[in-house]
Amino acid sequence: MANSVTITIDGKQISAAEGDKLLWVALENGIYIPHLCGIKEKEKPDASCRLCFVEVEGMANPVTSCTLPVTDGMVVKTRTERVDRLIATGFELLLTNHRLGCAKCAKNGSCQLQKIAKERGLKLRLTRLRSVLKEMQTDDSLGSVAFDPSRCVLCGQCVWADRKENKGNIGFIRRGISRKVSTFGEVPLAESGCTRCGKCVEVCPVGALVKNS
Amino acid sequence: MSVLGTDTQKTYQELKDQAVQAVEGLNTKSYVLVGTATCGRAAGALNVLETFRSEIGKHNVDAEIIEVGCMGHCYAEPMVIVYKPGFPKICYGSVDEGIATRLVTDFLVNDDPCFDFAMAALEPNDFFPTFEDFPRGVYEQKVVLSDCGLIAPDDIEQYIARDGYGGLAKALSKEPERVITEVKDSNLRGRGGAGFPTGVKWEICRNAEGDTKYVICNADEGDPGAFIDRALLESNPHQLIEGLAIAAYAIGASQGYIYVRAEYPLAIERLKTAIGQAREKGIIGNSVMGSNFSFDIKIFQGSGAFVCGEETALIASIEGNAGIPNHRPPFPAVSGLHGKPTIINNVKTLSYITHIIRNGAEWFKSIGTPGTPGTAVFALAGKVVGTGLVEVPMGTTIRTLIYDVADGIKNEKNFKAVQIGGPSGGCLPESSLDLPIDFDSLQQAGAMMGSGGLVVLDEEDCMVEIARFFLEFTQNESCGKCTFCRLGTKQMLDILTDITKGKGKLEDIDLLLELAVDIKAGSLCALGKTAPNPVLTTIRFFRDEYEAHITEGRCPALMCKELITYVIDEKKCSKLCDACIGSCPVEAVYTRSDMLKDIYLDKCVKCDNCLVTCLPLYQAVIKVSPPIEAGGNQNG
Amino acid sequence: MELMEGELEKITAEVEQVIKDQGTERERLIPILQGVQEKLGYLPKEAMKKVAEAVEVSEVEIYEIATFYNQFRLNPPGKHQIKVCMGTACHMTGGNIIMESFERRLDIKEGETTPDREFSLERVACVGCCALAPVVVVDENVEAKVRPTRVDGILLGFDMEKKAAEKEMQKAASEQKTQEEEG
Repeated sequence: MANSVTITIDGKQISAAEGDKLLWVALENGIYIPHLCGIKEKEKPDASCRLCFVEVEGMANPVTSCTLPVTDGMVVKTRTERVDRLIATGFELLLTNHRLGCAKCAKNGSCQLQKIAKERGLKLRLTRLRSVLKEMQTDDSLGSVAFDPSRCVLCGQCVWADRKENKGNIGFIRRGISRKVSTFGEVPLAESGCTRCGKCVEVCPVGALVKNS
Repeated sequence: MSVLGTDTQKTYQELKDQAVQAVEGLNTKSYVLVGTATCGRAAGALNVLETFRSEIGKHNVDAEIIEVGCMGHCYAEPMVIVYKPGFPKICYGSVDEGIATRLVTDFLVNDDPCFDFAMAALEPNDFFPTFEDFPRGVYEQKVVLSDCGLIAPDDIEQYIARDGYGGLAKALSKEPERVITEVKDSNLRGRGGAGFPTGVKWEICRNAEGDTKYVICNADEGDPGAFIDRALLESNPHQLIEGLAIAAYAIGASQGYIYVRAEYPLAIERLKTAIGQAREKGIIGNSVMGSNFSFDIKIFQGSGAFVCGEETALIASIEGNAGIPNHRPPFPAVSGLHGKPTIINNVKTLSYITHIIRNGAEWFKSIGTPGTPGTAVFALAGKVVGTGLVEVPMGTTIRTLIYDVADGIKNEKNFKAVQIGGPSGGCLPESSLDLPIDFDSLQQAGAMMGSGGLVVLDEEDCMVEIARFFLEFTQNESCGKCTFCRLGTKQMLDILTDITKGKGKLEDIDLLLELAVDIKAGSLCALGKTAPNPVLTTIRFFRDEYEAHITEGRCPALMCKELITYVIDEKKCSKLCDACIGSCPVEAVYTRSDMLKDIYLDKCVKCDNCLVTCLPLYQAVIKVSPPIEAGGNQNG
Repeated sequence: MELMEGELEKITAEVEQVIKDQGTERERLIPILQGVQEKLGYLPKEAMKKVAEAVEVSEVEIYEIATFYNQFRLNPPGKHQIKVCMGTACHMTGGNIIMESFERRLDIKEGETTPDREFSLERVACVGCCALAPVVVVDENVEAKVRPTRVDGILLGFDMEKKAAEKEMQKAASEQKTQEEEG
């Protein structure tokens, strides 16, 4: 059993198990920090969405809270000028490659991007940056599930869920701006060995993997 | 331990005696050293090698032909060194088949050393100057390059005869901790980029918990513009193997890896041969030189991903995954390959190790600056006369490097900037020429030592275009995992591309600066964190060029294709010549009724052929910016 | 891409051999894929499936790796591979102009193969011959200081080689024919 430590987040004293990652400690104590890629049980966090930045006393620069083990006496601020600026830019960058139009999205109302926008007062449209979105076809091959890669934020939740549940049918292919979630040989999901377990749909934080109504 | 040390020394002495004997045997007759590293080959070294073989055979000369690596004078490739008893060793540059034939018939058969073709002698003599008599030789101080191009990389005896593996033998007679202390005392800083103290890294790894530890040599030299590691691997692989073995002994590892990029096939081949020879001699394997230290090396071939130069991505790649970086900490020195403590050092860093162990930390510190002791190895490319590899003490100024060591700018053009450190580095202007080069001074100036690529740019190089080029490179090489690098560099690239096409807006410059700050702070790994550097430095020092593109639609360097037009100056064009017409791939160049030539602007694809082919006597094809609209200059 | 008759057998045999040489540890995965590509020139889907099975990883993981690294090809390359260096020094001395010249002459884009499978055109990040820029790697040979006009020369060389080979073949065929007639 790990030692219990006391940390301060935004002035609130919280006790937590030493070594637990700050993101989860904060969330479990009702303090919201934006996040998309975080998976609590993952030993090595991806730290890829770059939205969970916080400032910690004694550290020169903002840090990702999903990778930061808590230590006794740690003093954390979730809202500072630098943190807000980083998160705002990271968020808008994600939107440059995300098909907007919430009204037509099945995830409208339960989308994590909407949540982040609401919590942090961010706009769900591009203000400074330009769209780099490419036209991509929705994969409706499964019938019951629709996969729209143009709404995907590459958080990796579905890939993790799929590998935990099945032998692994989806993954991150290519790299850089072309990186995307797809299957072996980029065949439609129905031909990928998909078991229709539905786990990927459960974990998708945005409208990329949704149940077809 | 001390007893083992004596054994090691004895084993080494035996190896060395054998080697010295073998090498002395070489000096009793003539030999020809041909530099056949990749750059030599590109310039035709293999044909030269073949000519020597056939001519020596034809004339029945008793001479050995030995393939060696690179002496660093790339501008003079192919290079050969000819030795004939009774003469000093002489080096010849820009050798072709004709010169090779003459060297055999005139020099080896008769006694005329063909001074007309000679560059320098290798040792002082009464006939011909040595390399030390030229400015390059005066300013250079070779440590890791000292044997490159002078010894056969595939002959371990030649390395041992020059005290090679003496550092390993000496290290094995000490406690590992004392080896680390020596390296720490030397204040050697990792030459891979950031300049982290090597000894400290080793100590962290030595002290990390675990029985299994690894050493990895990072030879994934991906910086487009650096070729130092390639030259070291192709010219003196044993120096690296020795450094790796010492590192392994110091931290307590028995398995080493060398991660080489696949674009370096010759380096891989020479490294494989060298490892095989070291194994045969008992220098690696079970019981290294008779000690109780066991060590072996595997070569891991990269598959073409620049990001694998990043430590955690390199480890992921060896483990059999896509080379995608992970968050640090944990640092590899604590938890690296297969979760075991691992040190990853660059080729250059490891190549220094044996010299530090052989000559001591104090010797190393006597070279260079207090903050960064030792030498700096640079790959000089671009618009300088003396391109190639140079090794100078840290603290040498950029001016000395460009104007003294490399003999100035090509074709009497004006210096504009120097790009140091590749995609992570920056462009420094004329006002930075007197900057003494070391890790800290470059960082302060906004550049980075990086992997030692130094590309000199002149008035014909566009600074917006070079920033765009590097962003395109990092954008292509981004692994795509994290938001800031994947999408942030894409934003910057799109903005820069617009500017080079004359479609930029003045606000774009501010947006570039804002994005640069956030990408540096927000990215997961060093690739993203340093990607904005080329943009930041070019805006800082060459903002006027950005503005000329944006407000005037003009590329001052006449480089950005969309902003230039090729025209023929009718005052310079000759009626007698039509070289340009033949060179045009799209029939855009034509002869007017008055026999002068002109270009149909709407057909021109700006391939540069006509400009290149137009005789130097005329130089009638010129570029103008801002561009002329098609139909605006049709005077024929 | 459809496989031709006999190709599957060849793929299976080569993959099995490479796996036999390399072993099936996860750490050997990338060397196995490199070995397969060396033998076959590219990574056919069938080969990737076999490798996945042998190393016991999912097929999509193999595909992740095969699409991540520049070196891996999913389609067969041309007979001659032209790699234009796009390193800093090459770029600043006109590497992109060289690339465009090849694209124009071969009528393909970078990353593509000509329909007759004679040439494939690729960009490489840097081959480390910066002092001799711009550089093009044609098959295994490094061509230094390539000017746009040299592009035609390089391709013409192959063209002549091909014609000479065809002539040889014709000659051999007609000789054989004469022999047969005489015999």
